[in-house]
Amino acid sequence: MEVTTERQGGILSICVDGRIDGSNVVEFEEAIRNAIGDDDRVVIMDLENLRYISSAGLRAVLLTGKTLKGRGAELVLCSLSEPIRKVFEISGFDTLFAIHASRSAVQSSLSD
Amino acid sequence: MLTLVEEIVLLMIDEKGSFIPVRETAVDYSIAGATLMGLAFANRIDTDSEHLTVIDSSPTDSALLDRALTLITSSEEAKLPSAWIEVLATDEARSMREMALDSLIEQGILERSGSTFMWVFERVRHPIIGDREERAVKRRIADVLLSDGIPEQRDAALICLADACGILPAIFSVQEIKKARPRIEQLRKLDLIGREMNGAIEEIERSIIIAMSHMPH
Repeated sequence: MEVTTERQGGILSICVDGRIDGSNVVEFEEAIRNAIGDDDRVVIMDLENLRYISSAGLRAVLLTGKTLKGRGAELVLCSLSEPIRKVFEISGFDTLFAIHASRSAVQSSLSD
Repeated sequence: MLTLVEEIVLLMIDEKGSFIPVRETAVDYSIAGATLMGLAFANRIDTDSEHLTVIDSSPTDSALLDRALTLITSSEEAKLPSAWIEVLATDEARSMREMALDSLIEQGILERSGSTFMWVFERVRHPIIGDREERAVKRRIADVLLSDGIPEQRDAALICLADACGILPAIFSVQEIKKARPRIEQLRKLDLIGREMNGAIEEIERSIIIAMSHMPH
């Protein structure tokens, strides 16, 4: 699992590559914590290259979203592959988070 | 901090110390589900729809969870999460309910009192003597149900369990539950173990309905 970050127009994007499961979820959470700054109001989690996510990984995403919400910020998910999208939908995450087809779609929705 | 099993057992007890009359099978499955959820939240197991993996076999701070963890780690064959729910929703669930009661008594939240009725049968009750924990659990449930925000996974799990074993009507009015039903359905989906547990309970209830429909009138 690899976590990379970039900022565009002041918005943080976190790209996750590989698998998130119980064997690396602590590293994932730490990488996310280190990446998000106090001033971030919108965080995009780009999951285009996420190949697998277990229950532990879903919990970490939920916790990230809750933590951000608690300080008035928002977690937005994008670029989910079909199998990953299904996992998120079965788990009801699509009712808790905005999920967009691509990062550019997120940018457009933010500028609306 | 109480375990999920302790919290759900606490919610099953009414003000007189008796168990709220709910379907025994649903209670067994809820306790099995609460046990596996507790292990997941303690980072001892991880799941997807086809696997339940032990990621850390070190003891937790709960004898009840450790008992289940030992059972899982000592198993020679890998099982689906749904199969582990079936394994635990047996006499194991009854034992775990007793362990949870013992633990709640030890923590000064319940006491055990016995009396005989009909001169023969012993009736055991568990009156709540320290209601701080019970009120806190009920408040957490109400807070999550009445909001539309992102819940704590543990609170969502608790609502899923309470709904599965049918004890929400002891906490909320019928109208309140009806109004909160969309939120309950949303929270029930969040946890894979909860979904598997609910699936198993629904399957049993379907079988009972089919069996009853075939009974002679």
